[in-house]
Amino acid sequence: MNPTSPTSPAPSRPWLAHYGDRIPRDLPPPSHPHLPALLREAASRHAAQPAFTTCMPNGMHGSLSYAQVDALSDAFAAYLRGVIGLAPGARVALQTPNTLAFPVVAFGVLKAGCVLVNTNPLYTPTEMAHQFRDSGAEALVIVDMFAHKLEGLLAQTAIRKVIVAQVPQFFPAVPRAVIRGVMRWWNRVLPPIGVDHVRLEQALDEGAAALQRDGTLLTKGLEGVGHDSLAVLQYTGGTTGTSKGAMLSHGNLLHNVDQAFAMGSSHIEPGKEVVLTALPLYHIFAFTFNLLCFYVAGSRNVLVPSPRPIQNLQRAFDNYRITWVSGVNTLFNALMNEEWFTAFPPRHLKAAVAGGAALQGAVATRWQQITGTRIAEGYGLTETSPVVCFNPIGGTLKPDSIGIPAPGTDVRLVDDDGHPVPPGTPGELAVRGPQVMQGYWQQPEETARTLREGWLHTGDVAVMDADGYFRIVDRKKDMILVSGFNVYPNEVEDAIATMDEVLEVAVIGVPDDKTGEAVRAYIVPQRDGLTEEAVRAHCKRLLADYKLPRSVVLRKELPKTPIGKILRKDLKAELGLSPAASASPQARAGARP
Amino acid sequence: MLTELETRLLGVMMMVIMLGMGASLTFKDFRIAFRKPQGILVGLACQYGIMPLLGYLLATLLGLPPALAIGLILMGCMPGGTTSNIFAYFSKGALALSIMMTVCSTLVAVAMVPVLLTSYSQLMGLPSEYSVPAGNVAQVLVVLIVPTVLGMVLRKWNPNVGATIELIGGFLGIVVILFLILTWVPRNHQLLATTPAAVYAASIGLGLIGMALGWGLSRLLRQDALRSRTIALETGIQNGPLAVLIVLLTFQGEMQQQVLLIPVLYSLFIVLTSSAVTVWFRRITTREALARDRAKVVGAGVAAG
Repeated sequence: MNPTSPTSPAPSRPWLAHYGDRIPRDLPPPSHPHLPALLREAASRHAAQPAFTTCMPNGMHGSLSYAQVDALSDAFAAYLRGVIGLAPGARVALQTPNTLAFPVVAFGVLKAGCVLVNTNPLYTPTEMAHQFRDSGAEALVIVDMFAHKLEGLLAQTAIRKVIVAQVPQFFPAVPRAVIRGVMRWWNRVLPPIGVDHVRLEQALDEGAAALQRDGTLLTKGLEGVGHDSLAVLQYTGGTTGTSKGAMLSHGNLLHNVDQAFAMGSSHIEPGKEVVLTALPLYHIFAFTFNLLCFYVAGSRNVLVPSPRPIQNLQRAFDNYRITWVSGVNTLFNALMNEEWFTAFPPRHLKAAVAGGAALQGAVATRWQQITGTRIAEGYGLTETSPVVCFNPIGGTLKPDSIGIPAPGTDVRLVDDDGHPVPPGTPGELAVRGPQVMQGYWQQPEETARTLREGWLHTGDVAVMDADGYFRIVDRKKDMILVSGFNVYPNEVEDAIATMDEVLEVAVIGVPDDKTGEAVRAYIVPQRDGLTEEAVRAHCKRLLADYKLPRSVVLRKELPKTPIGKILRKDLKAELGLSPAASASPQARAGARP
Repeated sequence: MLTELETRLLGVMMMVIMLGMGASLTFKDFRIAFRKPQGILVGLACQYGIMPLLGYLLATLLGLPPALAIGLILMGCMPGGTTSNIFAYFSKGALALSIMMTVCSTLVAVAMVPVLLTSYSQLMGLPSEYSVPAGNVAQVLVVLIVPTVLGMVLRKWNPNVGATIELIGGFLGIVVILFLILTWVPRNHQLLATTPAAVYAASIGLGLIGMALGWGLSRLLRQDALRSRTIALETGIQNGPLAVLIVLLTFQGEMQQQVLLIPVLYSLFIVLTSSAVTVWFRRITTREALARDRAKVVGAGVAAG
């Protein structure tokens, strides 16, 4: 997709030797013209099988079969096009946690030829307004729990239709009534909605009727849609902090589905898998990996609306034969602190996949001891749909490594001037491949800064070993400069995380009179009695002196993103430091300690 | 003292509550609970160590006549009450522990209750016409255990049905208790007025002192503050309706009315005392949580300074 530019010759791909027999060296262009074609084919192949099950913390559940998802998403597409009259390419925002409404609406938007704008349900009204305005969304599907946040906000946006979904959407009548009763009268999380809206059921009824009247409604909407057409606007804070929409095309996502499959095909049996989706689907990792890939594979997808507290996952593990689970470091860690999980680990589990944040070595080792399966760590970004690198599950898994690039992907490490660094040297990771976004929505300057000569510059510092496996050293902006030496917080966090007494840890740099910056560790202890001295003594055995934490702060919890990534920038903000304040020019990628 | 309708309601209520409790449990929950059985063992020690002894001591110290004494001892020998879980929930206690204690003490009751009942009756020197046959105890317990297991099976068969029954069980339990209290008290105010103080002391004291001793013993056996409070409530709250049903099954006529007095009064007052204790415990739990929050900030300040 990205033509090789004369200034950046195709780098060698030393990692191809590790593809083994099952991973194709290169992938042919996806055979489907757009995502709806892929989704329809999966639905017709697995029609009667369960596609999605939402599992509530008390075990109440509702399911949709492939045929039902197909029919309902058709109806929703028809509603968007035929009832409210959206044009192809119009943006439709979706703001729900993991519920049965999510796949129905998301697939419906794509089938209508419209653009899906995934939106975090926990956003504040200010953040919502920014995202709706920026994307120019014309319709919004929002979960009823958060619809009250729309008051006074819609007038600032182009939204002309609000459709309200429920957490127990498509559940059988009795559990649905019970859940809604508990939410309304007991938890009091269903405040009255003060804006004009329609219920999702009603929209689906109207859409189904419109489809009856005009059977060509859906084919017409997709006439001009191809690989280069925009499919999803996926917002990301990115490295600069202002939220911007990564433009992911049908081609980007189709390619990345194929690429992700290449990663796990040895452990995915079509029609047989049960995948646990605890990560939010509005996040690109779960969106592509859990939602798209496992739908195409005919799997049953168990959706958990909220994985916090982690006990919410207990009934999902109890009641379903989970074979795949995707997660982030904090989720795996939290699971392994639950007795119900460690005493009876899932027996049918085949593999776990980690992304979103660095997987700590200690967590990966314990996971293997407990479940007998390995966590394959991958690496990706919103801007790359997301998969860039992966540890091939059927091949060599390297600990502390993000693995090797996906088929058809070029990865290289560059210095500040954009020149490739010598092998074994840390450099900023740059990606080129069919999964790389088209750019940031209406942000030509940001796009030009990030996408240069066909390469996406990630802001992550990595090193490559002789086999072509990559290891993320850290975020460029998180590096700590102690007396002129680079300290990567990940390395210090990893060392501290190997202590049994430590539940979670985050490391940041703080200004220091003597050394410029000093290492500070924030620790959530596993049990009482952890002391600063013990932490330092432990680190002294593993780390050079300049990497030792100067101060240790014990806390009850650490700030995290919705998917559970620990937010170092929030810890810095608590101290009044700007997120990137510590990254002095010398501390940039490429400099060696 | 109790109408036919009230007796029936009691039986149905217990079955519904136990059905709901069973539906909240999986077979795995049991296996997990028994991997670290200390909490449950401490609870059982409180349940069957403290309470029957307390019943016996109170009966002796207050010099109760045989009919009242057997009622009090019977009350002391009962397994944990099904309502204790509702109180554990509202007091922000360790809910899983509470449910497990109730279920386990109910299961072992088949063996424990007849043994303890006979021992303490003999110790007290009660006449033989006041003895409770083991068969009667077992018969009533089966009525409790069957719905519990049925609930667990239903949950396994269909989690939607299980979770619905769980909620309905808890809800109906509260409604029936309130209905029984609100209808019973006005009709029996004369009985309440003529009952001697010693009987009140026994009926109220069994629950309150039991809670205090349960708390003390679990602290002594190194349970943390939160679990100790849970065990305290669980110890003090006996299965009153179960005792009532056993009495109805065992005794007849005037004697039945006499033996019934303490179980009925206990059942009435335990709802009130547990509610008060629950409010108190809830405040302590909240205060502890806040204190932990504050400790965090101070700790961070010290480390930062």
